[in-house]
Amino acid sequence: MSFPDWIVLVVTLVVIIAYGLYKSRTTHNLDGYFLSNRSMPWGLILLSIMGTQASAITFISAPGQAYTDGMRFVQYYFGLPLAMIVICIFFVPIFSKMKVYTAYEYLEKRFDGKTRLLTSFLFLLQRGLSTGISVFAPSIILSSLLGWNIYWTNIFMGGLLIIYTMSGGAKAVAYTQQLQLIIIFIGMFLAGYMVVEMLPEGIGFTDALKVGGRLGKLNIITTGITDKGFNWSDQYNLLSGIIGGFFLALSYFGTDQSQVGRYLTARSIRESRMGLIMNGFVKVPMQFLILLVGVLVFTFYQFNTAPIFFNQKQLSKLRNSELRDSLQWAETRYQDLGVQKREAVSAFLSAPDHGTEEQKANELRLLQKRSDTLRAKVKTWIGSDAVRGDANDTNYIFLRFVVDYLPVGLVGLLIAIIFLASWGSIAAAINSLASCSMVDFHRRLARRRESGETEYQLSKWYTLGWGIFCIVVAMFTYNIGNSLIEAVNVLGSLFYGVILGVFLVAFFFRNIRNSHAVFFGALMAELLVLTVFIITKAYPETFRLGFLWLNPIGAIGVILFSFLLSGIMKKRSSHSGSS
Amino acid sequence: MSKHPDKAPLFPNWNYWYALVVAFLILLIVLFYLLTRKFR
Repeated sequence: MSFPDWIVLVVTLVVIIAYGLYKSRTTHNLDGYFLSNRSMPWGLILLSIMGTQASAITFISAPGQAYTDGMRFVQYYFGLPLAMIVICIFFVPIFSKMKVYTAYEYLEKRFDGKTRLLTSFLFLLQRGLSTGISVFAPSIILSSLLGWNIYWTNIFMGGLLIIYTMSGGAKAVAYTQQLQLIIIFIGMFLAGYMVVEMLPEGIGFTDALKVGGRLGKLNIITTGITDKGFNWSDQYNLLSGIIGGFFLALSYFGTDQSQVGRYLTARSIRESRMGLIMNGFVKVPMQFLILLVGVLVFTFYQFNTAPIFFNQKQLSKLRNSELRDSLQWAETRYQDLGVQKREAVSAFLSAPDHGTEEQKANELRLLQKRSDTLRAKVKTWIGSDAVRGDANDTNYIFLRFVVDYLPVGLVGLLIAIIFLASWGSIAAAINSLASCSMVDFHRRLARRRESGETEYQLSKWYTLGWGIFCIVVAMFTYNIGNSLIEAVNVLGSLFYGVILGVFLVAFFFRNIRNSHAVFFGALMAELLVLTVFIITKAYPETFRLGFLWLNPIGAIGVILFSFLLSGIMKKRSSHSGSS
Repeated sequence: MSKHPDKAPLFPNWNYWYALVVAFLILLIVLFYLLTRKFR
């Protein structure tokens, strides 16, 4: 990275920290620290919700996802808008009227203390681990790409934000997220604009879409239906996006304290709802635009030969292994194909009639298929026993392009964006981890009630503690290896469904009053989700199931088991009563 | 399952929001579908 890039990076990060500290002034009690004294307008709620959900990986990985798999990933968010309305009607008023600090506090009022502690514990476990990975995931990419020390990158990625998060709590988190998102959107827009600008003369935005579309990257809507029927293992299609995505969004926004904690800071119930509803309207188009940048990058690489593998560190490993001759052969072949593709894509775009255009498109598709086959071969070699490397380079595609092609200054801004996106979601996460630790455990289990000032000071220490915990998890993740990142992507789905199920029983099944039935029902459902997950991993050929389906399984599991246990317990108590 | 009596923002009741969101989603899906087809 050049000196001006470093200046842009450092200045952007310092401005964010200073702004966070400037906005840190709040009353010294839990209301001020975790709820900003319920004073936020809906615009700030909206940006805070968006900033919490959009992590660094959203901006790094989504363009790479579009590059490799096309834009169908956008369907993952189709269930979100409807989930926002359901949360506004049923979840928000209950949290708001009960004036809770955490979502799980309500469960004690509805059921009992142990159900509240169980759900809060599941949240702390899942969110604590996944936030650690949220620190590690962008750090490993930046350290690999720019040659930075991974341990120091982890500390800067997860450590600097603790300064303002600890100091100002939810208020500092919300205000910094607002500024972070503005900078992120400007940076992503500039990146997209630059890709189109860097296409050869006479090739514009529509041409780029035409090339991307013909090569299968504009597959925005897919049904998941094959000759053998519906493909249940397909992660992203219309049905899994609407149903699975609905349950995932319902549990994430309705029961995950990192999100609930954002809209609890609203100045009124109306402001909470407006923030959530508007999130439902902007999320899908925003994700579409981020993915579109990936398609534009893909088209750019039709005119400029792409690296055969985007993670140079892993490629070096392969180059130094016994498979070096195979790699050399593949690279030479890949370069030749690159030259042929450049000619084919120009011929395709300048075709005089429809027939010629179709013919050239077929030639281009064939060349792309050959390139993909070569890339697949290289990936297999990297993952083989001879190299034992990480064969997935999706997360490196966009940043590799940024570092290799974008002008000085913009590279620094894009790297800063990775930090900002990361900070936005991590800050909200550690703020929510601290609120659950303080309110659901410390306050709930303490023998005497502390003063407001003491609780405020303790909350700051919890924030610091969780911040350090997440950095430590990130450090250990590095020692364990990259495969954990993939595992953590499904971590949320392992727990979210069950937590949602408990809330659904609480809200909609008023006749279930036996708290033991719900508690043990939740444990059984969690066991069911884990069993299904293990079976799909152990027998991937026989049992195929996309991870999004674990959410409805968990939620419906809790409802069914609670009903069953409630009935059994009722019968038993009436038997023992009559005898 | 009883509907919460709280008033919906901007509209007289929540059914309008449901309708608006469903219409928005259908519009997006149709637009995306047309885009998928046009550039396929």
